[in-house]
Amino acid sequence: MTIAVCIDDKNGMLFNNRRQSQDRVLIEDLVALSNGRKISISPFSKELFAGDEVCIVEEHFPDKADEDTICFVENIDLTAYADKIQKIILYRWNRHYPSSLKFKLDLSPYTLTEQTDFPGSSHEKITREVYVR
Amino acid sequence: MRVKKIVLLLWCCCFLLCGCTVSVSLPTESSAVQASLSGYTTDTVPAYTEEAFVEINDNVPCFTDKDYTTQSFETYGELDSLGRCTIAYACVGKDTMPTEKRGSISNVKPSGWQTVKYDNVDGKYLYNRCHLIGWQLTAENANKSNLITGTRYLNIEGMLPFENMVADYVKETNHHVLYRVTPIFDGNNLVARGVEMEGYSVEDSGAGISFHIYAYNVQPGIEIDYADGSSWLEGTQKTEPSAAQMTYILNTNNHKFHLPSCSVASSIKDTNKETFQGTREEVLAQGYEPCGKCKP
Repeated sequence: MTIAVCIDDKNGMLFNNRRQSQDRVLIEDLVALSNGRKISISPFSKELFAGDEVCIVEEHFPDKADEDTICFVENIDLTAYADKIQKIILYRWNRHYPSSLKFKLDLSPYTLTEQTDFPGSSHEKITREVYVR
Repeated sequence: MRVKKIVLLLWCCCFLLCGCTVSVSLPTESSAVQASLSGYTTDTVPAYTEEAFVEINDNVPCFTDKDYTTQSFETYGELDSLGRCTIAYACVGKDTMPTEKRGSISNVKPSGWQTVKYDNVDGKYLYNRCHLIGWQLTAENANKSNLITGTRYLNIEGMLPFENMVADYVKETNHHVLYRVTPIFDGNNLVARGVEMEGYSVEDSGAGISFHIYAYNVQPGIEIDYADGSSWLEGTQKTEPSAAQMTYILNTNNHKFHLPSCSVASSIKDTNKETFQGTREEVLAQGYEPCGKCKP
């Protein structure tokens, strides 16, 4: 499966069960990248995709994901799924936020194939990195 | 500014009636500001270990129904009799955020201020003029009621992440965030031991932003005397601050001067008390005599 994750400068994902940040341009970027494929998300992430018909909302979605699934992950420790993850779309906020859940996946088995900066709607610079196993 | 202070006093009174804890001290002109409005002191927060901040009150801020508003405002408590910041409270919205480039704040010398550099501190300078409410949230520049003597570590690792989180949330959603920062001092210390920070997003009832933390005013590798801000490398002996950096408490009635930690100084009437920063020679030249107890 492919996972998409947003992290801060300290590899943080979440603080006090709340996302560190959000940006509508980032979501548009991910939808465009999905190229028509459905994006699997948890109910927690649903509000970010309001109005989009591109999502499948379900609990425990990484468990059900197959090789072609794109999972947008905000509030799950991904280390348990390391063996299933073939591709990582990593969005960096380029900001330092507080965090209680970290992105802990070891990136060494992956190759960085793409790195792009773009301005968000409320972030000066968001960096998108794509890693492939 | 006077209106802001009156609003803050009324708000404090409301809090005393409705707050989530009962043991509180109002920010007043007295020197006994030791507990935050929610009752926290350095005795009731965990000691610093290796994290820049710690979650307190289960990370639940102590705002009440009376606080919830989508009308932006900002209030800054008056300095106490020792010249220390007391509290800063705002409802942050897009309209409180800066529209111009940040100005200089170097003319403000917060209580306990010292200019000192260490090689093992990021940016060298141990102390920053730390905004209680960050500039990116309310665009306050040289407001002495909003600036404390804070370590680089407090500023960058303790407070800035929360300011960033709130600022980006407000910019993205156009919502409002209640934001309150309270410096916590021990006794008559001139440098705060830490700051209590609370945040709560109003329009979504805290779904976006909700936190209650205490950030430590420490600097790894450096020891600090919070009474006057003097500092030394961890593992070495404290060296007395140079005469040019002394802080004294003046009794303008009997013309005695005291160390900030002197028990006599804390009993001086507010109307007769002033904080002096400068050399011993300078205060003597102004006709003041050293206290016989603390022998400054």
